[in-house]
Amino acid sequence: MEARIILQIQIPWNPNRQSSRRPSLHLPRSFIRASSSTSQKPRSYKGPKPSTNLVADFISSNDDLARSLPIYVGGASLLAVLFNRTVSGIAPVADASSSQSRADLLALGLAVTNLLTGLVWLSIRPKSITPVNPEGVDCKVVDSDLPVSIVSELLWAWESLKVATCCKSLVIVYNGICLIQIGMVAESPQDKKRVIVNTDKLMQGSVYRGVMKSKAQSYLANLSLYPGRSELAFLPANTQAVILQPLGDKGIAVIGGNTIRGFTSSDQAWISSIGEKLDATLGRYFIDSAEGSRENY
Amino acid sequence: MSIRICNLPFNSSFAPQPRARISSRRSTRVFARTENDTQQQLNLSVLRFTFGIPGLDESYLPRWLGYGFGSLLLLNHFSASVPINEPQLRSEALGLSLAAFSIALPYIGKFLKGSVVEQRTLPEEGEQVFVISSNIGDSLKEDLAWATYVLLRNTSTIAVLVSIQGELCVRGYWNCPDQMSKAQLHDWFKKKVDEIGLADVKETLYFPQYEGSSASWDILPNGTRSLFVQPFVQDINEQQKMNGFLLVASTAGYAYSDKDRAWIGAMAEKFRG
Repeated sequence: MEARIILQIQIPWNPNRQSSRRPSLHLPRSFIRASSSTSQKPRSYKGPKPSTNLVADFISSNDDLARSLPIYVGGASLLAVLFNRTVSGIAPVADASSSQSRADLLALGLAVTNLLTGLVWLSIRPKSITPVNPEGVDCKVVDSDLPVSIVSELLWAWESLKVATCCKSLVIVYNGICLIQIGMVAESPQDKKRVIVNTDKLMQGSVYRGVMKSKAQSYLANLSLYPGRSELAFLPANTQAVILQPLGDKGIAVIGGNTIRGFTSSDQAWISSIGEKLDATLGRYFIDSAEGSRENY
Repeated sequence: MSIRICNLPFNSSFAPQPRARISSRRSTRVFARTENDTQQQLNLSVLRFTFGIPGLDESYLPRWLGYGFGSLLLLNHFSASVPINEPQLRSEALGLSLAAFSIALPYIGKFLKGSVVEQRTLPEEGEQVFVISSNIGDSLKEDLAWATYVLLRNTSTIAVLVSIQGELCVRGYWNCPDQMSKAQLHDWFKKKVDEIGLADVKETLYFPQYEGSSASWDILPNGTRSLFVQPFVQDINEQQKMNGFLLVASTAGYAYSDKDRAWIGAMAEKFRG
């Protein structure tokens, strides 16, 4: 694998550099260099700690209010300009003759800019979709023949997906074996226990074949619209979004989420990277174990 | 019925609605033409316009208008006849505060949900390096190579440094002396990291505006605007876990959103043991 991950990284150059003015944060500088160079334990960290940005925190937590703030500011200034005119007895006539009128016109122009910006911000508000709790049983089933290193890698993949995305279920099938079935799983109506993954049925189904043929990740953003949904019977019935990640050409990872369109494009990129890694690890293990069993004959 | 797989879930006006959810009544609209009949909220997307000049970002328009109108206001003030009456002063004060608010609007807009993140740019000077310590096993070297590659590809990182119990893996653009062999570079980085004392960091550090803070570590390339440090051990009781940290830097400001930081934390978990 070292041969493939090579030293030259082609990072795309983007000439669109945005340079905007930012207020700088002033922190007391307390950088002390310790003089001893032979100490074994790590030198303590004396650099600065990041300060909290109150504006950013306020806006992130009060998104709706912040979006409509320019509208209120613009509207209030419009009224204030008119009020100023009436109070001071000058007729509200919009001509540019006196400097009072000019100042008023400029203020009005700025108020209208604010109003329109507020309206634009309202129009680009992302739709908030509520997550749907998956119905099923919580389970954690890992194939018992796997070595500890593989199991820990699979569990690491599950933990990362659980923490960073809206994933609630994960099933990995490789070489015809269901390696791991973890998270929320559909409950079988007969015995109230988890639905076991029928790998033969899955691998003969159109979902699996389509993904294997295209060799690319497939993102079903709204699972209820998808006709092949019945082949993924092991997922909870109300799973909202599914990502099908092929692991090379021998396996598939089925990742179920609880929000429609809940996986962002960054999530998709990360999931395909993890899929490549898992394929490399699992592929090597299965080749080694196949060679090992062949040597025994 | 068409199913569109939407890679950008933030665009509310143009998301297709499934047939089952179409309601029979028309939604109220500000203007006649809309993209989607089933919107239940006011469709204000017609207000968005563009000059069509590539490279010109219209979200900065309030800032330019603020500067322009503010300077016109000042010009008006100084060219007026000297006894300026009070109503005019009030108007001008109102206008100047509106101009200041307009100038700040793009900055505020950056923190709203769904705002576009800046793209990274590559540093003009400096070269790419890729250094892995020779004291670690092959499988760990592979994991490190993969993890650093993925971090550079999937986030707007230009420089990444992973330290596992003192042994380093460094990749990307760094401000290091050239003409050094890999082993010498590794020791050089190790010395610098020890000087800063990064191995002792106990909690995650995120500097979204690195150039404004008082941190100035000379190993980072010029133009670094965001910095994120994720230590492995966060609990002093977990002594049996591997010690170390993961450092990523980017030339874009506010480069690491919550989701990016969650993924970087997941990468750090891999090496935690």
